[in-house]
Amino acid sequence: MIEKYKEKISSFYKRKKRMPSYREMGTLLGFSSTNAVYKLVNKLQSEHFLKKDTSGKLIPMNIFGEIKVLGLVEAGFPSSAEEELADTMSLDEYLIENKEATFLLKVKGDSMIDAGIRDGDMVLAERGKEPKDRQIVIAEVDGQWTMKFFRKYNGKIFLEAANKKFKDIYPKEELNIAAVVRAVIRKY
Amino acid sequence: MESFFLNRYPKAILHIDGDSFFASCEIAQRPNLKGLPVVTGRERGIASSMSYEAKALGVTRGMSVYEIKKICPNVVILPSDYETYSLYSKRMYEIVRRYTPEVEEYSIDECFADITGTRRIHHASYQKIAEKIKNELQNELGITFSVGLSATKVLAKIGSKWQKPDGLVFIPLKDAPAFLRKTNVGKIWGIGPQTSALLNKKKIYTAYDLATAKEEYIKTFLSKPFTEIWRELRGEAVYSVKAGEKNIYKSISKTRTFTPESNDRKRVFAELSKNIENACIKARRHHLSSDRVFLFLKSNAFKYCALEIKLSIPTNTPSGIVVEADKVFNKIFNENTKYRATGVVLSNLRESKIHQASLFGESVQRENDTKIYEVVDKISAKYGKHSLFLGSSYEAMVAPSHRGRRGEGAKRKDIIFKGETKRKRVNFPYLGEVV
Repeated sequence: MIEKYKEKISSFYKRKKRMPSYREMGTLLGFSSTNAVYKLVNKLQSEHFLKKDTSGKLIPMNIFGEIKVLGLVEAGFPSSAEEELADTMSLDEYLIENKEATFLLKVKGDSMIDAGIRDGDMVLAERGKEPKDRQIVIAEVDGQWTMKFFRKYNGKIFLEAANKKFKDIYPKEELNIAAVVRAVIRKY
Repeated sequence: MESFFLNRYPKAILHIDGDSFFASCEIAQRPNLKGLPVVTGRERGIASSMSYEAKALGVTRGMSVYEIKKICPNVVILPSDYETYSLYSKRMYEIVRRYTPEVEEYSIDECFADITGTRRIHHASYQKIAEKIKNELQNELGITFSVGLSATKVLAKIGSKWQKPDGLVFIPLKDAPAFLRKTNVGKIWGIGPQTSALLNKKKIYTAYDLATAKEEYIKTFLSKPFTEIWRELRGEAVYSVKAGEKNIYKSISKTRTFTPESNDRKRVFAELSKNIENACIKARRHHLSSDRVFLFLKSNAFKYCALEIKLSIPTNTPSGIVVEADKVFNKIFNENTKYRATGVVLSNLRESKIHQASLFGESVQRENDTKIYEVVDKISAKYGKHSLFLGSSYEAMVAPSHRGRRGEGAKRKDIIFKGETKRKRVNFPYLGEVV
């Protein structure tokens, strides 16, 4: 029976790249009480299958059997390439600060052409941010989204285009700034 | 009920509920719809969600588009865009997870969170944490949520319903009796119309009546799940918040309505075949297999015909299921009936890979299928879902599920950005065009 439990735990680890929590382990192995899970964990710890860290969380030990353990030891000596890559980030991380608050829009027209933003470009904008002077924002004007520079000048707020053909927009009532532009992407 | 006075929050459970979730996701993309009656579900011909303005005019869930137009001709009726709603839903869970790992993804627009013991790390009271979560959700997603905080899931759910939309309601146990007195038993999570009618016969009308009833008494006519609700109402947390992404499924089901209705065997079977393929995709994603497959057809008179297939080995590839389904299809299909929907449920799910060899060589066939579908999944990951599909699904794959104006799909399904395809889009919600 214990072999079957081990198999399930290691397949969980393979899939999720982490150890299950006590509760997840209960569901995984069909135990209804956490106490039963504790007992099993202690047993597995005595067999060096896993171990508890200082905060009680589980870390894998021999979960892939004896041979694979060598692999785990090897991981302690990363190749230099791996080490260098630790300080890099993905394009996603570079472009997006707060993923949950970031939305896509598509540019229509050329009101921001002098800022290098063209018709058809993809815009990444972040909601829930207080805009600062000269940031590019997505504002709601007459029931439509508009993208302009946010300007705060002598206490007056207005929107400014990056194209001489467009006049500044002074809001009549409250101006709803929905989001602050974080990036513009153009794929060729 | 003196136990109510012992501790305000022996546990701190939040229930978070998106207000008119689908309609709100649509309005968040189109500011010109703010303040208007908005309904989603055009492609099905019935309302799946409606804004509070539409609710005020009398639109209810499940009402037909025809009826809706009769009672309010100016209503905006949009096709559902489940892809966008799912993206918002995932974000809702992620934002709540900033405060606690114990978040239960209860449904597309609701979640429970256990924030017990997190006051110190957030330097805030439970009420303040609830308020912060609500504000972050609203600021970052642009739609409103109703939040209830209490000591149990059942009580938290009463809180989130209390003052919809945009509600934030705290029910510390000492205040619970006041809330329960004003809650009808039928409004309690888990108590349906049948049980509520039974309770009324026993002179139990409000949640307070139920919570203060003697345990021995209610046990004489209610089963165990209801005594659990009784304990939850009294402030004892019986139901735990089941953390983690929702991947422990008891069953997986796929249903799809199509128009026009059809009595063409090929078309109807193709719809069923497509549902089987979709259910299997989901099962494979969660590494689950099933050996009980339940199939059904829904006629234009809303009658269901169903049957169950038992497989000798659990599977998560469609080929075998489709062959079995074809053998028995005529038992539920009648050429004189027109059908509007088909569906499939994979039940008796278990983790894949742990299966016994069958006596009849089916095991080899299944293993080959598994290999084939490993490749199919890779192709789908690269080129999009349904890049490869079974011939039996052809009619359903090429035909739009709805013809005519109802067939107009969600806007995001069109290719919007260079590099996107009909099948794959950037996984961020789209807010539309910006001038």
